[in-house]
Amino acid sequence: MNNPKSKSRKNGLEPVENSVPAPLPLDVSLDANLQALEQRIGQSSDVVIRRFTNESLSSLSLAFVYIDGLVNSETINRTLLQPLMETFTPEGASITPDDAFSLIKDQVLPIGGVKEGKTLESLLALLFEGYTLIFLDGLQQALAADTSGSEKRSINEPTSQGVIRGPKEGFTESLRTGTSMLRRRLKTSDLRIEEYKIGQRTQTGVALVYINGLASEQVIAEIRRRLDAIHTDAILESNYIEEFIQDGGLTPFPTIQNTERPDAMAGGILEGQVGILIDGTPFALLAPSTFFNFFQSSEDYYQRFDISSFLRLIRYSAFFVSMLLPALYIAVTTFHQEMLPTTLLISLAAQREGVPLPALAEALLMELTFDVLREAGVRMPRTIGPAISIVGALVLGQSAVQAGLVSAAMVIVVSFTAISNFVIPSLAIANSIRLIRFVMMLIAATLGLFGIMSFLMVLLIHMAGLRSFGVPYLSPVAPMTPRYLKDIFIRVPLWNMTTRPKTNLGKETRRQGPHQEPKPAEGKPQPEQGGSSS
Amino acid sequence: MVQTETKGLGLMSTGRKLGLKARAARCLVCTLVCTSMVTGCWDDRELSELGITSGSAYDWEDNQWKATYQVINPSSGASSMGGGGGGSGSSPPFLTFTVKGNTIMDAIDRSNLTSTREMFFSHSRVTVIGEKLARRGINQLIDFFLRKQDARETVYVFIAKGNAGDILNQLMQLTKNQGAGIQLMIEQEARLTSYFPGVRLFQLAMALSSESGSAVIPEILLTGDEIMDETSETGRTDLPSRLALGRLGVLKGDRLVGWLSQQEAFGLSFLTNKINQASLSFPTQPETSAKIDGSFLLQHASTKIRPVWENDHYVMDVSITGSGVITEIGSPMDLNNRASIAQMERTIGENILETVKQSWVSVKRLNADVTGFAMTIHRSDRKRWKQIEADKSWDEVFGNIEIRPRIHVSIERMGLSNKSFKTVQQD
Repeated sequence: MNNPKSKSRKNGLEPVENSVPAPLPLDVSLDANLQALEQRIGQSSDVVIRRFTNESLSSLSLAFVYIDGLVNSETINRTLLQPLMETFTPEGASITPDDAFSLIKDQVLPIGGVKEGKTLESLLALLFEGYTLIFLDGLQQALAADTSGSEKRSINEPTSQGVIRGPKEGFTESLRTGTSMLRRRLKTSDLRIEEYKIGQRTQTGVALVYINGLASEQVIAEIRRRLDAIHTDAILESNYIEEFIQDGGLTPFPTIQNTERPDAMAGGILEGQVGILIDGTPFALLAPSTFFNFFQSSEDYYQRFDISSFLRLIRYSAFFVSMLLPALYIAVTTFHQEMLPTTLLISLAAQREGVPLPALAEALLMELTFDVLREAGVRMPRTIGPAISIVGALVLGQSAVQAGLVSAAMVIVVSFTAISNFVIPSLAIANSIRLIRFVMMLIAATLGLFGIMSFLMVLLIHMAGLRSFGVPYLSPVAPMTPRYLKDIFIRVPLWNMTTRPKTNLGKETRRQGPHQEPKPAEGKPQPEQGGSSS
Repeated sequence: MVQTETKGLGLMSTGRKLGLKARAARCLVCTLVCTSMVTGCWDDRELSELGITSGSAYDWEDNQWKATYQVINPSSGASSMGGGGGGSGSSPPFLTFTVKGNTIMDAIDRSNLTSTREMFFSHSRVTVIGEKLARRGINQLIDFFLRKQDARETVYVFIAKGNAGDILNQLMQLTKNQGAGIQLMIEQEARLTSYFPGVRLFQLAMALSSESGSAVIPEILLTGDEIMDETSETGRTDLPSRLALGRLGVLKGDRLVGWLSQQEAFGLSFLTNKINQASLSFPTQPETSAKIDGSFLLQHASTKIRPVWENDHYVMDVSITGSGVITEIGSPMDLNNRASIAQMERTIGENILETVKQSWVSVKRLNADVTGFAMTIHRSDRKRWKQIEADKSWDEVFGNIEIRPRIHVSIERMGLSNKSFKTVQQD
């Protein structure tokens, strides 16, 4: 772990630093500027440079530069080309380049975002965002007009976090779409969106979203600090950010949630969490997150509280099943046969009779097979989906049992474990459990139930020590705050949840007024006289 | 993309505590390796290495212990879906091993000479003691059960007349696991008929070590002459020979001293408050005919015993209360008539009283305190008990005990009809 490699990684920032040249001020000459530009971005075929002159600007030379594909050519034609090519000054008036610049900027361009740039660097940054640069001959600055309009995926249903009841729109890859979705849900002036550009080469937009007053100041400051500290060349997905900012430490547990659902994100932000949207991925982050957040699904709040509570309890049991079942099978069949009911033991013994492998090998074989199948299912082209299930279910499951390689009980254990794993709403924690499961199996095979118990304790101690941006990972259970258990193991009715979870608390703690439970109007419905007398 | 991979690992090196963490990780790895090497899986037992015994029987033969183990044969299991493959229907559901040794453990160890599997006793359900062994004394057996790690004290104990090992060879119908079958039989009997209480090994040990020093063990026997021990014979609907519960063996000290018949055992169940549910037959019209033509299902019964010292001996005030339902009436009767119900209650009560008295006579004859009176007296009259203990005169005191049973039976329901069907017909 601490070999020379990691040291070089620590200092591995140099190549990134070297690739960034010093800011280059623009030249007076248009030709020189364009040349410098071409030199910087090479002869890339998607860069469009168009030069022209306009009579009314005393035949000044102009040039536009934009990147095809990042811009909306309709906008360019209508709002740049057309006005610039028209005559817009009294005939014969002679204009200096300075006048022309302010004229174009202030009068000619019917376009929202127009910026100025004096260095090639700043202009290039805008160019890559889809702006069109307008250079004027004889001027040491240039204009950049917002013509961005690249191809975008339309808003679709989230694929990883589906609900039956509830909004069906998910984030898209576009950061702007994401912030707009949140803005539409949280129509409050306290909503803050702070943008960062992270990654030397990708310049990925990252937006910090929170509600001023709800989110804890310290947490926001800490996230800002950690975001600022990221020094890397590329951010391609939210996990890049997640790994850079999550509380360090060797832990299999995620301490930052990710979600594809704007409604889940809005819910989190309203509870004082801080959202982080990343350009180029539909998965946004929510922090700080505790262990129990990973068992809450946004649908919990879209259906009756009793049903949600029941489902949530099922999820917690599924968590334990998914983590422990194969380990328990191994422990019980190799160490603690006396713990099983006799009939079950005999039936297990009958199945194990022809199996040549010890229970651990049998379990590892099947669990690994399942994970291979699952991975294959994710990576393969959609069209061969049925083939995978046939191979998985029939060829591997059925015939492995018939061939006497594994026992039927093991197949049941593996499938139940797998299905339990799918019940957990957060893929992040489900994957952690997958990993823990294997460790648990090995421990069960060496130390039996005693080992399972010890390892569970070690896990618990580890979790109790974890923190997500200062919030204890197991709060509000450890440290125990009974008042905030209303949304942990069960979900109480909404009218009973009057305060926000303490864990992420900012200044404003009250979510809604008390005593909102539905009840009949005051007093009994009475005959008319009775009613009038009181 | 190489960059991203290093970042994945970078998690560990982000903090400044690299050295500390690496050390902790190395420590953890060492511990894990050591645990698996040192403690390791030395005591693991795969299911296929175990001979799961479902019952054991002990006899005394040629001055040696003869132990018989009934080992479940997993490959005959009904779930042929398993990897068993060759689970042919003809293989018997269990196999028995008979081994002899100077001690019980000696015998078990010798079983390893004949069996491919390690004997595993945690799932034993029954243990059968041969009469000869029971007459010789069973304290060593009890000691063995209490001492051995994987032997359970919850096994049901039975006595077999003759060779106990034969009982374990008999196939049972409707069950593959015969040990569990016998257990079910005795549990069901104790719940529904209450003739014999099921006696578990720890109960036996407790009874024998209590003040009474006596205990009972139900007898298990074969109803026919031959042993049905071939799988093909389970294909028959009616086996000529079955396992059945017979009498009740009475132990004093740790030896068998005699037997109580079923009826006497039933009376003893009343005396020891072991009645759960029982069916009683009685004459519905004792004045006119002694014909037994009615049935009463006793659903609740409880017995209270109060010892009273009278002059020179103890009199036990036994008060039995019971209630239940009438399940059958064979004579014309009008159940609207309260008097006839009272009459039936009286008859039932007298029947029970008779049974209890008979039983008491037999118990007294054996002079074994299977009623647990010693404990009752110890609890109610500590002074005198100390005296008795000092004099070692309990046998004598017990021989002089009189019982004064009183009974109150109430009929709670009579089913749907207030008239017997015979009355309906005659009308």
